[in-house]
Amino acid sequence: MAGDMFHLVFTPGTFLNMFNSATVVILAGLGCLLTDQAGMMNIGLDGIMVSGAFTAAIVSWLSGSWIVGLLCAVCVGMLFGLFYGLMVIRWKSDEFIIGVAFNIFAVALTTFLLRSIDGQKGSFHPATGFVDRIPALHLGVIGDTPINISIMVPLAIVLVILCQILMYRTPFGFWLHASGEHADALRSVGRSPDMMKYLGSLGCGLFCGLSGAYLSLGYLSTFQENMTDAKGFVAVACVIFGRSNPVLVFLAALLFGFIDAAATRLQDYLNPTLTATFPYIGTVLMMLVIALARVIRKKKAAS
Amino acid sequence: MKSKERIQYLLSLGVSILIALAIGALLMLVSGHDPVQGYRSLIEGAGFIGPRKAQAIGNTLYKSAQLIITGLATAVASSAGVFNVGGEGQMYLGALGSCYLATLLVGVSPWIAMPLCFLAAVLCGSVYAFIPAVMKVKLNINEVISTIMLNSVAIFFCAYMAKGPLKTTERGITAGTQRISSVFQFDRIIFSNSDVLSERLRMKSNLTTSVIWIALITLLIWYLMSHTTLGYRMNLSGQNSRFARFIGIRADWLGIVGMLISGAMCGALGMFENFALHSRFNPEFSNEIYFDGMLVAMIMRYRPLGIILMSFFFGALKTGAVSMQQDIPSELILIVQSVVIFLMAAQEGIVARLRVKHARKHPSIAKEVG
Repeated sequence: MAGDMFHLVFTPGTFLNMFNSATVVILAGLGCLLTDQAGMMNIGLDGIMVSGAFTAAIVSWLSGSWIVGLLCAVCVGMLFGLFYGLMVIRWKSDEFIIGVAFNIFAVALTTFLLRSIDGQKGSFHPATGFVDRIPALHLGVIGDTPINISIMVPLAIVLVILCQILMYRTPFGFWLHASGEHADALRSVGRSPDMMKYLGSLGCGLFCGLSGAYLSLGYLSTFQENMTDAKGFVAVACVIFGRSNPVLVFLAALLFGFIDAAATRLQDYLNPTLTATFPYIGTVLMMLVIALARVIRKKKAAS
Repeated sequence: MKSKERIQYLLSLGVSILIALAIGALLMLVSGHDPVQGYRSLIEGAGFIGPRKAQAIGNTLYKSAQLIITGLATAVASSAGVFNVGGEGQMYLGALGSCYLATLLVGVSPWIAMPLCFLAAVLCGSVYAFIPAVMKVKLNINEVISTIMLNSVAIFFCAYMAKGPLKTTERGITAGTQRISSVFQFDRIIFSNSDVLSERLRMKSNLTTSVIWIALITLLIWYLMSHTTLGYRMNLSGQNSRFARFIGIRADWLGIVGMLISGAMCGALGMFENFALHSRFNPEFSNEIYFDGMLVAMIMRYRPLGIILMSFFFGALKTGAVSMQQDIPSELILIVQSVVIFLMAAQEGIVARLRVKHARKHPSIAKEVG
């Protein structure tokens, strides 16, 4: 039985799905860590993602081109990022309240607009025309599983590497980090901490917009109401787990992707409604593990 | 709050709501609806005018009761410094637990069974709230993320139970537990339309006798939050946990207590919803009920009396919006609510900035502003 399970779970298909599913979280996580590095955790990722997904699907349908859809999604994401920056940096609002309100606002707005445009509930299915999807790369066949990967998956990996370099090898990363923890030190070298925070917030919007576009044009093929399924919060958990280090966040997101893919595979054995809880339980456990490790480390340091 | 501040707050709240409603009208206009007609049908749906007045008023009162319970549940936890976003999950588990118990207690006197079911709902809700509370207080795990995750877990789990192990044997029901014996169900309160006697228009509203329970809970929580030392201490530890610890208040313990009360209230609401309106556990009973109330609590800054009053306003809006859903999606009200939150937050920040600027220009009053 255990061996069966092993072979069932560890298939090329599972690993493919792991990357497909993790990419949503990776992109959102990169956005979240930019705000976290600047000392203001944005938990409104879901809201930005769902707005991006909606924009991408609608614009891609209107223009017939996924590139235009993707760019518009990124723009909407950055608009949200700017808005978040205004609320939190300029007007000093509570970042958690704004984040939570963001999510509710964006889900309600996209649902409202979808029902007004399309006249139907649930998901976007245009009567005429089609939603142009982000193209996939065909990487050959393993066994009898064709390996198709959306071009967003390698792009996300490249972005992780770029972010890692940006964070730890450039002055920008240094300043961004300083704007959160040592704002006065940053001011003393003639840089504005608020400016860096705005840039972090805009970057967050950019990545979440990308993540949303991938969600509706790559991972799935159209927009659905509330389609992020709290994946933005999973990304926040990954950022906490990976302590805002892009590569560690990437690994945490892969772990989530793996649990998600494995849960999908296990649907043949277990009830699909039950397996749907696995990724969320996994995320909670992930946070528990990192917190316990921190406590143990502290105790060791104290003794 | 000083009275001058309070007036300023109420004034800005009123203006924010007006602006938010105007934005709502703009949205209706953009999406091709007539805003005047839209708001008119909303007022009609809320029970202020129109032929179905009585039924609509009942629905509005019930929705308000829902908002009061969920809003106060948010406020209790928040006042103690823990932000409970997981009320939805706690509500689901409370509902499932109490409905399952009710199916086991067939034939028992309702005087014994109802308190037992209530206890089950309260226990399920608070136990589920205990997990993120302990993780927050002892391990400093962000409660917003953990409660959101636990929401999804609870909702999927309850759906699994209602479709699988606990599924009713009745035919034609795809998901749900056994029917609850009718002596356990809450009766609907009927308002008769005195002016309209035709049977068709005398439809029953969602208002049931559960509203008495809700009123009792509301009184209890309001009293707890504003007239007891426990409430005062919770408030203190929520505002400044370091100071609270300094004067000997166990802030961490109070955070857990706040979450337990919050979870218990959500669990109880889950029971009322299903016992009253669905006569069984229906895994689709909640359309994010908790988040409506949470927004009200956030708008009123977790002040119990304010939440209770504001719930009636948003209860009317929400009920009106649901009944006009044919033309205009009821999400409009969520948009209005969140815009109010944004505006209030921005207004506070703008006023603070202006004060600082003013104080810089006139150093003599700088001390006063601080």
